[in-house]
Order: sequence, then structure tokens, then C-alpha cells
Amino acid sequence: MARAADSGAPPGRQWRQSTVLLYLRSLLALAIIWSLIALWVGNHVILPQPTSVAYELFRLIASGEMLVHAAVSLWRLALSYALAALIGIPLGLLMGLWPWASDLLDPVVEILRPISGIAWIPLALFIFGIGNELPIFIITYVALFPFLLNTMAGVRATDRTLVRAARTMGVDQRTIVRHVMIPSALPQILTGARIAGGAAWMSLVAAELIGAPSGLGFAIEWYRQLLMTPKVIAVIVVISLLGYLTDRGLRWLQQRLTPWSTGIGANP
Amino acid sequence: MSTRRWPRYFILPLGLLVLWQLWGMTLPARSRAPVPLDVLASAVDLIASGRLPMALLQSLGRVGLGFLVAGSIALVLGLLMGFFRPVERNLDPIIESFRPVAPIALLPLAILWLGTGTPAAVFIVAYAAFFPMIVNTIAGVKGVERRLVQAAQTLGVPQLTILRTVVLPAALPSIFIGVRLAMGLAWMSIIAAELAVGSKGGGGGSGGVGEMMFVFYAYYIELDSIVVCMIAVGLVALAIDHGLRWLQRWLMPWAEQYR
Amino acid sequence: MSQPVPSGPKLRLDGVRKTFTVPRSGATVVAVETADLTIEAGEFLTIVGPSGCGKSTILNMLAGLELPTEGTVAMDGRTITGPAAERGMVFQDYALFPWKTVFENVEFGLRYGPHGKGLSTAERRRRVARCVELVGLGGSEQKYPHELSGGMRQRCGIARLVANEPDVLLMDEPFAALDAQTRIILQEELLRIWGETGNRAERRTVVFITHAIDEAVFLSDRVVVMSAHPGRIIEVLDVGLPRPRTDATRTRPEFQALSQAIWNLIRDEVYRAATAAGSAGGARD
Ligand SMILES: Nc1ncnc2c1ncn2[C@@H]1O[C@H](COP(=O)(O)OP(=O)(O)OP(=O)(O)O)[C@@H](O)[C@H]1O
Ligand SMILES: [Mg+2]
Repeated sequence: MARAADSGAPPGRQWRQSTVLLYLRSLLALAIIWSLIALWVGNHVILPQPTSVAYELFRLIASGEMLVHAAVSLWRLALSYALAALIGIPLGLLMGLWPWASDLLDPVVEILRPISGIAWIPLALFIFGIGNELPIFIITYVALFPFLLNTMAGVRATDRTLVRAARTMGVDQRTIVRHVMIPSALPQILTGARIAGGAAWMSLVAAELIGAPSGLGFAIEWYRQLLMTPKVIAVIVVISLLGYLTDRGLRWLQQRLTPWSTGIGANP
Repeated sequence: MSTRRWPRYFILPLGLLVLWQLWGMTLPARSRAPVPLDVLASAVDLIASGRLPMALLQSLGRVGLGFLVAGSIALVLGLLMGFFRPVERNLDPIIESFRPVAPIALLPLAILWLGTGTPAAVFIVAYAAFFPMIVNTIAGVKGVERRLVQAAQTLGVPQLTILRTVVLPAALPSIFIGVRLAMGLAWMSIIAAELAVGSKGGGGGSGGVGEMMFVFYAYYIELDSIVVCMIAVGLVALAIDHGLRWLQRWLMPWAEQYR
Repeated sequence: MSQPVPSGPKLRLDGVRKTFTVPRSGATVVAVETADLTIEAGEFLTIVGPSGCGKSTILNMLAGLELPTEGTVAMDGRTITGPAAERGMVFQDYALFPWKTVFENVEFGLRYGPHGKGLSTAERRRRVARCVELVGLGGSEQKYPHELSGGMRQRCGIARLVANEPDVLLMDEPFAALDAQTRIILQEELLRIWGETGNRAERRTVVFITHAIDEAVFLSDRVVVMSAHPGRIIEVLDVGLPRPRTDATRTRPEFQALSQAIWNLIRDEVYRAATAAGSAGGARD
């Protein structure tokens, strides 16, 4: 408040501070309602008090248990995300640049795309068994499509006059791809990266819940079977927080890499 | 476009199918790996016996129910939040803090609260569908041209009627984006929910195509049937999306030019 | 100039000032600088002035869409606090509902607003059809706004206003997008709707904005001339040409003289505003 009163403070900061206050107030109201409902339910297993969730969260973090689960999940996520990018972006470039490649690959993509990653879980369970491979396969599959499709669309949307302009300067095809088409497709590729990130988190949880012996998704289910509801909720909170931070990080990256972009999804 | 190009479209899918079939024929006879011709046979069987259509209908029913619940709440809340600043300022923090919670992560809680039947699955679907709906409804309402609201005001139309007759139709294109995203997510979540309920709820007869897939995996090891289910899941997803697009064009003949 | 009649004016602006705050920079823009104006019942008043001088802002305040920063705007002695059906408006940018056909747009106020209460569906439809005919949109009833030309959209906006039968008609450059012929026809139609041939007591009140000086003179009882930067009323002129006005009116010497006088006022304003803006820009550096 004191800072906002400074004569030099732009109106934006004042606004931001009051938003934070409002945010905290709304969350407090929510916690009180939750607490009252928990009192009314009166069953610690079905709905624990927010305070006991906070306590369990603290204990899980302090004991390092949460760190282990989170590290496993994040490692799987990072690996599959990188895999998806490594396959999806080049394939997308290929399909965006050469019609024959998209003619060949497009039908396969269009056949596979509607089959959600989650629908692959039973078959993948049979092929890979319960372990690391299943979640990695599922996440890679899920994250692949946003990367591929957005790269392809971005390349195709390259302004033809830009390409022509480069040609008139005597630049060869390779350089045009490298310095004109990829940069102009970058905003959309990064939008794809964000969509892929969101989809990857969601399927990570599903895959670990059903078919992994470790990780955050596994942890929720494990604590549920032990009827330790406060811990279940604590893990859910951590998953959400990490998901939120991942998205923030990708947005930040998007703004850093393509500051010139004003398109949809580029702004926070 | 050109007739010369279209044969290319079939090269890769057909080639892969043939390779898959040939690979299947080299396997020992007792192998359980799915092979195209067996998948086809299994599809005929599953459809003819009515098991697959029944399971799909059950899953679709849950999606419909969950979507209806979530959609109507999100629509009303979104209209109010977009139109009246104070409502938005108070509710937005709560919605934003629940938005990153992956719907599937709530499944254990849903099972705890609602058991391993339809209610838990509907809960997950509703949760998944709620956020794209409300976010796009709010965005749509905020994007409504102020002039149009003013025009209605100078005609003396009351606020709540304006909400219904001006704001709602003007926000409809954006709301529909939300509907399509929500339905896609809902369909994905129902499969996840049914699978997980099947696997974690002790394989109770909760029904639905997701549970059916799990049963094929866990008890019968009928991989052909699993592949049939996967294809069916994909086809339904496609059908939902195309249906919604058609509905959109039908509902909003003005929107093509308007957006 | 003209004294308020004992019954009190229809509309009254009393020391009205309107400023806007530019959201990001926080700078203040003066749109209208202390305006005093009374408009009698049954009067046809036109506002002219260079672009950006605050004409639309005054009209918006009369409609109740904007509230003055200082001073009051009143109708029949009651302060205006918000929009109402008795003050209808034609918008400069049409503001037609894109999802409604021409017919439905014209029907909107009667269907959802208070002025259609007590009307049967058939009566309502008849009135709408009449208004659509009136502006020459017969045959286009089932078209959507995006299927209309600019001029047709504007006519649709006029029909929407007229159908609602408001007490005060606020019209923001309603004929700007029309071709010359349609414009002349609609000017005469507007005077007819307003009640030029009837007795004074039955006329509605019209506040009309235009860029066309001859249009202002042809239509109005009084013309308000505004200056820009800041927007201010510099002159209120009585037209005093006999009614009903016809083609012959345009060729009268008084008509020509008045048009020329208004044009001189505005031209000086435009030049002054241009040089003032130039020097102000220089001073800021
Ligand atoms: N909502 C607003 N926010 C900020 N400034 C505004 C707003 N509305 C109008 N203004 C400013 O007020 C001044 C007057 O605007 P107004 O629209 O009334 O002009 P006008 O006389 O109708 O012009 P025109 O003939 O071009 O329609 C302009 O400088 C404009 O930039
Ligand atoms: Mg204007």
C-alpha cells in the first residue's frame, strides 16, 4: 500500500497489489468454507481440515518424500517432453515444407490424433508393463501432436512475400528455411509447446495413477488406498502447483523467445 | 484437391497395415499380439453382440450428464463474471486456483466420496469440462462490443434481458470454442476415469468403454478387442467434434462474417 | 439565445464537463468543456463541429450512456442517470446486432423493452414492417447485417430507433453513409416522422449530429456549432426558415447565407485547432 501511494508508482502496480489482496481474501473465504464443511462432515478420511492437509504437506516435504515423487514425475515429464519435441518439430517442419511429406504422413496423424493418449494405456500396459516406459510412452504420444501440428501450421503460415523477398536477395533454400521460415513459425511452435505441456501434465497423472510404481500420480493413489486423505490432497496440491509453474515457465519462455509476437496465446 | 494427389494419402496407412498384418503372421500361433484381420473379426463380433455400442453409449451418457452439469454452471457463472466486475473479482481467484488441478488427479478423491460407479465418473467429467467452458464464456462476454449493449440500453431493455438477448448471443462463438474444448477433454477424462475405476476399484462392473478396455486387458488379455475399443474411442471423438462444428454453423449463421 | 419557455426545457445541459482518463498513461483528455444548453420539447436541434470536438460525447450523455464529470444533464427537469427507452439513439457505427436479421433488429426494442408492452405480436410485427418500409428496406427483412451495405445498415439503425417511438431521438450522423439521393429522401422522411407538418405540441424532440452543414440547416430549428480542443459550444444559431421545408428551401438565399456563416465558423475553428495542436505538440518536447 505504502508503495502504491508513492507519487511515482504507475497505476499498474496499484492494481496488481489490490489483485493480490483480493486473491488472498477469496482463498481465505474458500478455506473457511472448506473448514466448515469438514466440521459438518466430521470424518477425517472423507474430508480432512485444511490445516491437517497443510501439516501433511509440510511433513511430506520435510521428510523428502514429496521430493522423491516429484523428481520421478518431473524427470519422466522432461524426458518425454523432449522426445516429443525432437520428433514433433522436425516432422512438422517436413510436413509444412514439402507437400509430399504431408500427403504421406497426414492421414496417419489424422487417424491417430483422435485416439487420446489415455486410450493407449491398456495396450501400453500389455506392451511395457508397469514401470517407467508406460508413462513415458503415453506422455510422448500426447505431447507429440501439439508440437507437430503447430509447427506444420506455423511453417505453412509463413508470409510468402517474406520468402520471395529472401529469394530476390539470392539466398538459398536452406538458409530460407533456417532464417525465415523457422523464425516466422516460432510463435506458433511455442504455442504448441504450451499446449503440449498442459496435455503432458494431465496424462502424466493418469498414466502414473494406473501404470507406474512411483511418481506423484502413483502417490495419490497409494495414499488413497491407505486412507490417508490429507496426504492425497497434499499431493494433489503439489501436482497442481507444479503444473501451474510449468505453464508459467513455458509462457515466460514464449515471451523471451518471441517478444515480437502479439498473436493469440502469446500474452499472459 | 487434385485427383493425382489423393492416391498418396493411402500409401502410408495401407502400407503400415499390410506390414502389421505380415508381421502378425510370422508370430507363433498362440501369440496374443493384435493383428489387423483379427482386430476386424473382433470388431464385427463386438458390434454385432451389441457390447461395444452399449459400452460407448454408457460412456457417452456420462459425458453428456457431466457436461450438462458443468456446462450450465459454467455458462451462468461465466456470464455473470464477465458482465459484472465485482462477481469476477471475487470468484476469479478461486477458479484460477482450481484450474491447474488435473481432473484425473481428483479421481482418488472422487472414488472416496462417490464410490466406483457412475457418480465418480460424472464428477471427473464435469470437473474437466468446467474450466474450458467458464474461461471461454468469460472471455466471450468481455469481448462483446460495448456499443451493442448500449444500443439495447437506449431501447430501454432491462439489464438481465440484455444479458440474455445481447451478451449471450454475442459471446456465443467464444462459448462454442469452450464447448468444443470441454467436450474433447470430457471424452478423454471419461476414458481415464473408467479405466482407473476399473483398475483401482477392484474391477467392479462400473461399465463404460474405458472399463471394458481394462477388463479386456486384465482378465481376458484380448488385445484385438482393446484395439477395437481404441479405434472406437477415436471415432467417437471425431464424431463429437464434427457434430459440434455442424451445430455451431447451424446455430450461428451470422458468425462466419462476424468473427 | 432562445429563452426557455415557462413549461421548462425538454433537455438541459448545465455546466457540463466531460473528461476521460487514458487507461495506461493516466493522462486526462477533456472531451467537452463546460457546456450549457437547453433544448425545447418539439425542437429539432443539430450539432456541427470538427471531428473529435465532442459531439458524440454530448449525445452519449443525453442518452445516459456516459455521465458528465461535472454539471448535470436533465430531461424534463430530472437528472439523467442512465439510458432509457424514452431517449432512443442511432449510433454513428450502427451498432446492429449481428445475430439478428433486419426485421429482428428493428423489432428488438419493442420485443424486449418497455415500449412494446401491451402490443400484441401482430401489432408489433405490423409496426416493425411499417418502419422497415419507411427506410426503404422492404425486401431485406430477412438479411443479416453483414449482408447489408453501409447505407442499408444505417437505415436499419434508423428504423430500429423509429420503431421504438422514443420521446427524444438522438441521432449520431445517421445519414453519413448514405448516397445523396437516399439522403435527401430520408431527410424529408425524418422531418415527417418528427411531425413537421403537424402542430408543434405533437412533435418529438430531435438532437442530430452531422458533418454536412446544408443538412444541418435544412433539418433544424437551431444549429449548435462546436470547436475542438477542448470541445466547446461556440455558437447557437436560429435557422428560422419556414416549415415544411422542401427542395425549394435549399435554393433560398437565407439558406445559402446561413450555411456560409456556419462554414466560416467551422473553418476558422479547424485552422485554429490545427495550429494550436501543432504548437502544443512542439511545446511538450
Ligand atoms: N471512451 C473514451 N475514452 C477516451 N477518450 C475518449 C472517449 N470517447 C471520446 N474520447 C475523446 O473525446 C473527444 C471527443 O470525442 P467524440 O467522439 O465525442 O468526438 P466527435 O465530435 O463525435 O467526433 P467525430 O465527428 O469524429 O465523430 C475525442 O478527443 C476523443 O478522443
Ligand atoms: Mg462522433
